[in-house]
Amino acid sequence: MLDVPLLLERSHPLPRRNWMRYAVVAFVVLILFGSIAGNNTPQFQTALRLISAFLMVVLVAVMGLVMYLTVRDHRAEQNRMLALEEMVQLRRWEPAATMLDQTLSRPMLNPYNHAQALLYLSTVLARYHRYEDAIAVHDYLLDVLHLEGPAGFAARLGRAMSMVHEDHLVDADRAISELRRMSGDESAGLTLIEIYRDVKTGHPAEAIDLFTGRRDLLRGQLGHRFADACVLAAKAYDLVGQSDRAATAYRDATILSPVVELNRRYPEVTKLAEKYPAATVPSEAA
Amino acid sequence: MLDEDIAISRFRRDLLLGMVVRALLLAGALVAIGVAPFSSRLDGGMLLLIVGGIWLALSYQSMKGSRLAARSPSLIAMGDFDEAERQIEEALRSFSIFRAAKLMSLHHLAMLRHAQRRWQESAMLAKAVLRQRLGALRGLSRSMRLILADSLLEMDDTHGAYQAISGLYNERLALGEAMNLQLVQLDYLWRIRAWQEMFHNVAAKVQLAELMPTGGAARSQALMALAARKVGREDWTAWLMERAQLLVDPFQLVLERPVLAELWTITPQTTAQLKQ
Repeated sequence: MLDVPLLLERSHPLPRRNWMRYAVVAFVVLILFGSIAGNNTPQFQTALRLISAFLMVVLVAVMGLVMYLTVRDHRAEQNRMLALEEMVQLRRWEPAATMLDQTLSRPMLNPYNHAQALLYLSTVLARYHRYEDAIAVHDYLLDVLHLEGPAGFAARLGRAMSMVHEDHLVDADRAISELRRMSGDESAGLTLIEIYRDVKTGHPAEAIDLFTGRRDLLRGQLGHRFADACVLAAKAYDLVGQSDRAATAYRDATILSPVVELNRRYPEVTKLAEKYPAATVPSEAA
Repeated sequence: MLDEDIAISRFRRDLLLGMVVRALLLAGALVAIGVAPFSSRLDGGMLLLIVGGIWLALSYQSMKGSRLAARSPSLIAMGDFDEAERQIEEALRSFSIFRAAKLMSLHHLAMLRHAQRRWQESAMLAKAVLRQRLGALRGLSRSMRLILADSLLEMDDTHGAYQAISGLYNERLALGEAMNLQLVQLDYLWRIRAWQEMFHNVAAKVQLAELMPTGGAARSQALMALAARKVGREDWTAWLMERAQLLVDPFQLVLERPVLAELWTITPQTTAQLKQ
């Protein structure tokens, strides 16, 4: 499932066929047809006008039908996008992967939906730790589709995070610098990537500085994903031997997110569970 | 600044005008197709060409207005209220042959007023949208009901809020709408002291809260912590309080919902400092 090169090739929207041009041509032909009637005998005039009126009705009906089918297909695609968004948000990865496979296996209708579906695909690929594939999708979004604006920024963030996961550290550094130029110090997502890079490359002091200095930014923008920053800070504190702070940060992380989810996202923090207690969760919520 | 009364009256006038123009164009097209072939004095093709030309020109004009209005939700989400207001005002002022474009503009204005915490105006606009026959845009009614209920709650009209959200329980909601409904519902339930109802199915409610942006996630979990205390579930109270205060300063939460002072003790000095 999720053959990335094939999905990228097949999902590209086809150039839109300009039905309007055909309709206008047919319309003009009918008007000419009608005006020919004016130069003939009265019986021939009536016959031609009737044929012309009939053809106009047919033309209007065909245009209406084409429009109905187009709207129906676009609406169906839009509904699939809404369903995909919900599945990704609710972390229902398997159904999301199946639906992405089906959706991207044929040309999509709307270029915006196409880009959005590819962003969801990259999220699902990252969930399955297929970071090289996720990078390929992000490259396609940025280099082929030239995605800009908030969606482009999200794609750049995703690519940088996948690069850190795959230890492409030189590329990741370049990507982080580019992101910093675009957002300054205002992006919690970028700060999280920088903290992760510092933890992975053995610079825990820098990671701690980022975490403490931008704590409000991180919790304000990340919501419950603030847990990610806390667990990486716990790892950084642990690396510099500040056990008390590591324990506090680890507890904070596990208050906001289950341990298993944190370990899945960042395999580097798995060992922390052996050293520091996780938060107590009510039995019904566990 | 766009006045709501003027916006609503202009919206109604434009809907009527749009309907009249559409009816005239349709009548012209019917005459061209149905009557002109039997008349030697009327050139059906020419008439249809004129009707088609006017329709295309008006459609293009309407599309420009719709495109203007389409950007406003993202501007509201980014907090650029001035630019959103300018675009909505322009969209409302421009003539549109399509009813949907006008409805969307008024809907966006209601969203803007809600984001600006101008509760009375957002409630008024939401009611104006809900009074319309929405047809293919019936999805708008759900978000308008949520905005209306939230605005009414902020104005302490619990009965009105209940009326607004009661119709939503039988509808299939999108995830974002379900999150908003949960926030509104919790806000409504604490006001009527329905603590058991608030705590009912708490695990599912917490899962939904985890998907919300920081402010909503913190407030809904703080309100559930209060409900847990009222029904004697201290394990849930402690856990939910810790979650809420990790996301948002508890003082801020109490300032927004003073009932939460039952969870976090706050001195009058702190409150005064925060208000400043």
